[in-house]
Amino acid sequence: MTENIAVELSNVGKRFMRHADRRNTLKERLVRGRSRSTQDFWAVRNVDVNIPKGSVYGLIGHNGSGKSTLLKLITGIYRPNEGRIVTDGRVAALIELGAGFHPDMTGRENIRLNGSILGLSKTEIESAMETIIDFSGLREFIDDPVKHYSSGMYVRLGFSVAVHMQPDVLLVDEVLAVGDEEFQRKCFDHLYTLRRAGRTIVVVSHGLGQLEGLCDEVAWLDHGTVQEIGPATEVIGSYLQRVNAQEAKANADIAATRDDTTMRAGNGTIRSTGARLIDAQHTAINHAETGSTFGIEVDLHCHEEVLGPNVRLAFQHETGSLVTMMSNHRQGVDFGHVNGDHTVTALLTDNPLLPGRYRVHIDIFDHTGSVLIDNWDDALEFTVRSPRGEIGQGFVELSYTYEIS
Amino acid sequence: MIRELYRQRALVAAFANRDFATRYRASVLGWVWSLLQPLATLLVYAAVFSLVFRIQAPPLGSDPDRTNFAAFLFTGMVTFNLFSGLLMLSMTQLKSNGELLRKVHFPAWTPILGASVVQLVQVALELIVLIAMFLWLGNIGVTWLLAVPVLIATAMFGQGIGLMLSVVNARYGDVQYIVQVVLQALYFLTPILYPLSLVEGTADWLAAIVKANPLTWFVETMHQVMYSLVVPQWWVIPGLLAVGFAVFWAGFTIFNRSSEDIGELL
Repeated sequence: MTENIAVELSNVGKRFMRHADRRNTLKERLVRGRSRSTQDFWAVRNVDVNIPKGSVYGLIGHNGSGKSTLLKLITGIYRPNEGRIVTDGRVAALIELGAGFHPDMTGRENIRLNGSILGLSKTEIESAMETIIDFSGLREFIDDPVKHYSSGMYVRLGFSVAVHMQPDVLLVDEVLAVGDEEFQRKCFDHLYTLRRAGRTIVVVSHGLGQLEGLCDEVAWLDHGTVQEIGPATEVIGSYLQRVNAQEAKANADIAATRDDTTMRAGNGTIRSTGARLIDAQHTAINHAETGSTFGIEVDLHCHEEVLGPNVRLAFQHETGSLVTMMSNHRQGVDFGHVNGDHTVTALLTDNPLLPGRYRVHIDIFDHTGSVLIDNWDDALEFTVRSPRGEIGQGFVELSYTYEIS
Repeated sequence: MIRELYRQRALVAAFANRDFATRYRASVLGWVWSLLQPLATLLVYAAVFSLVFRIQAPPLGSDPDRTNFAAFLFTGMVTFNLFSGLLMLSMTQLKSNGELLRKVHFPAWTPILGASVVQLVQVALELIVLIAMFLWLGNIGVTWLLAVPVLIATAMFGQGIGLMLSVVNARYGDVQYIVQVVLQALYFLTPILYPLSLVEGTADWLAAIVKANPLTWFVETMHQVMYSLVVPQWWVIPGLLAVGFAVFWAGFTIFNRSSEDIGELL
């Protein structure tokens, strides 16, 4: 194992037996004999992953791709049937928060119990006690039995104990989706603090946007084997492409009806029939880059003459936030009388959008802005990448100058 | 093994503390209730077996002209309960801590031994009652000191078997019911409710079974040192300790070897 590797997985495989075929009682075992072990399946196999020290490492993949199994293998709850796992330093897992809390014991007693289970010594627990209580924000209730806690309070206490055990490697499995907004932010802040302190963090999540911002490297698992390993943006990009392709295939029929102009809202005097991403030379492209020029072309078909329509393009980030709304009326551009087929082009110079996935919704209003003519949700979806491989925070990079005086 | 046990003492203590809290915190009289069941059993058995079946206990060590069936019976009961209590409790621990073992990686035997610590406190309470009984009878002797190694041997014996069976029970959930029945049979095949001399006069095969029952060795030695106040032959107590330690060591080793995948078994 090289010095700067925190977790090394070499050719790791884990086999499970199908539950239906297991003998759960001695009686069954005696009556039905030894189970035929042909029902085995490999939850993960041939996994080679090296997680560098001080990095944030993401694991992505569809449900059942083996992400959580891999985390359990790293913590040692499961042992691999094949291969080897070497970890350097103390491993703590945020797999199930508050596992092992006893309802009849007070919060304080449970901190002691949970701390011991996670491997802390008595003195370590006592010295961290006040910090844990403060972090959980439950000082008022800490001497009440946890059976009177709400589920949110339960999880907060669990998280507080787990992150304060000073792990060298912290494994996080989808647990960040718990607690209220304030506590979630606190958790993220803490993860960033741990990251700055040089701890290694392994995250399993379906929040790809979150992962892209948090992770240095990502491994993409598919049916238990590694598909791709690399920088977060790249791997997430190709994962999304795969998912989109599969979705497109599976949803071909649904898409047909959705894009079917007769199914849309609006009076239908104009329909947008196509939309695509283009570069400065008006050639179709697959993705946009931060800082360079790109545009969106929308094909319109007018069934009758319309005066001064407003064609609006709404950009929605993958997290669901509306980033911006572009429209010709806002730009003071009047299309005048339109009829027949047209192509509307919106060109963005110095694209300020930061790397991520964006969706474009197209709607058309009449010149008064009160009558909806056409509405096309999810007309277009595209990825923005950064040529420099940076990620950045938020959605956009504004142009600005900095000064100190 | 010893080093491993010592290293995890804080965790065992934490589990003991947890089980302690749940077992006795519920009511102030928790301690009293925990003694009620063995004392009630003692009362019923003592009445039935001495008054109805007219079973005679051997003479008391302090006064060969007197006997006391209840004291004789309780000596055996405490010893047997130490064994069976540890065994039964250990066997179910993996199941009851399953949630935790599936999610966190820690030595799986720690909750078992934690529960056993609490069980030992229960046994200590019963011992206090037993000693009080003998004090009241005036049946006191230095041979009492020998009870300590015998009890330690009994505890290790029961714990060792408990550790082995706990893994089997985690895999096959019905094992605990089978063990319960076997323990009940063992109870009557051990000279607890009757002196050993009683079976020696009956069928040879029955006497052979009772004598071959390892629990007979532990219970009989306890009878000797606590009730009859005689020193057993020199090799008996070292022998029991050796058996107890060997079984505990075997149980611990087997447990550790087969419990590595316990998280996915539960």
